[in-house]
Amino acid sequence: MIALAQQTLRFTIVLQMMVCLPLAAEAHGSSRQKVTESIEIQAPPCLVWKVAGSFHDMSWLPGVVKTEGEGGDVPDSAHRKLTLQTGAVITESLYKYDAGEMSYSYRIDDVDVKVLPVTNYSSTIIVIPEDGGKTSRVEWRGAFYRGDPNDNPSPELNDDTAIAAVHALYRKGLDSLKQKVELRQKAEATH
Amino acid sequence: MKRIAALTYAALLCPILPAGADEAFTTNQNGDDISVLDLATQKVVATIPVGGKPAGIAMSPDQGFAYVTSTEGKYLSVIDTAARKIVGKAVIPDTPLGVAADPVGRFVYVAGFYGEHLYKIDPHEEKIVAELEVGKAPSGIAVTPDNMLLVTADREDNQLSLIDTETFTRKAIVKTGQHPFGVTIDAARHRVYAADVESDDVAVVDYQSAQLVGTVKVGKRPYAVALAQDKAFVTNQYAGTVSVFDLNTLQPLKTISVGDYPEGIEASFDGKMIYVANWFSNEVWAIDAIALKVVAKMPVGDGPRAFGLFLRHTP
Repeated sequence: MIALAQQTLRFTIVLQMMVCLPLAAEAHGSSRQKVTESIEIQAPPCLVWKVAGSFHDMSWLPGVVKTEGEGGDVPDSAHRKLTLQTGAVITESLYKYDAGEMSYSYRIDDVDVKVLPVTNYSSTIIVIPEDGGKTSRVEWRGAFYRGDPNDNPSPELNDDTAIAAVHALYRKGLDSLKQKVELRQKAEATH
Repeated sequence: MKRIAALTYAALLCPILPAGADEAFTTNQNGDDISVLDLATQKVVATIPVGGKPAGIAMSPDQGFAYVTSTEGKYLSVIDTAARKIVGKAVIPDTPLGVAADPVGRFVYVAGFYGEHLYKIDPHEEKIVAELEVGKAPSGIAVTPDNMLLVTADREDNQLSLIDTETFTRKAIVKTGQHPFGVTIDAARHRVYAADVESDDVAVVDYQSAQLVGTVKVGKRPYAVALAQDKAFVTNQYAGTVSVFDLNTLQPLKTISVGDYPEGIEASFDGKMIYVANWFSNEVWAIDAIALKVVAKMPVGDGPRAFGLFLRHTP
């Protein structure tokens, strides 16, 4: 998605095995970072939620060619596998879903730090009504540790790199979401 | 109950202790500083730069000093709470996380997260006077009000270490749920409550018999526990909630929505209020401990963790 290394799927898997990241472990030698990006969309929240609110449809995120998974939108049961253009794969689990509030939260179970240089990543997407429900604001929030949670990480796995990567991912995703929703809004308005 | 013990102790030390506006000292890990939040006016009245990514905090029994661990800086800062100034610093040879002050104002204990050691520190001399090997990834620490026992949550070993403070040796190990983190003492029931981050529950341990006596299911990714009104209040980081359960029956009472990634939690000295530091949304929320309702939302600095005892009873 960002800083995507041009590698084959097989190479990615080999790398993952070699790196062997302690993904489940929260590391406190490093400190947890956070990133929020938001965007205004000229469409009602329900329409935005229709596009962004399905855990099993990440087609609005550039670079994702396939979303596969099971468990619907049920927290703890729902898991998805995103396949990127490069062949890299990211697996994620849903842990909170609130259709009323129009938000969901998920965590990354497995990602190569060459694809996204973070560990122990969790994230929330929320659609907030604006202008009395005529327009929307979408926020994408992430909490994570850097790619290498140990002391003295290399530059490509430090805090700054992790923060920049997540900012870039969210920016790209939200810009694309806006474009997609507003096109759909226009199309529905002209019919 | 712990509060009652703390109050009794404070009353012994300073017989005249007028009810003042208490303060919250939030360790803002992302902002590298501490916000001093006046809980009466609900405003930040001072910001103390500490650096090194502050996380853990403890107060001296006379409330005159705050002890703050900086996880990346690898030091313990001694802060004069009234002057809002750093007055001392002890270097820790590991990533320090949990910190606790003994109830007699003599020693401070710090958990070294990677080296599996507990450090006993003389904060006046600013040096380590003893160290003890505990379990893997010691996180939260607490001392009983009678100063007899010290408890560490050894996160990666899924256990609590019970340590005799006088001999500074470990006398028992008690298994908990997965990844215990924050620990809180309930002296009246001789229990310690540990928030098990990975198994989404709270382990209830009798520290006299060194037995696990109960497990209470809470929300996703619990972090720490506060006690008031015969109830436990547990922050759930992923859920964005506080779980409330009854200390006598260990039955759940209510789940209260709070800010994003709630972490540090502590009861006010009169036991009427619960204060929650919300790490992601940069706010301290107040919950009425009797009505079980959110009554205030107060902005603080960036990334408040407030891991430990962060409330200061002002003179």
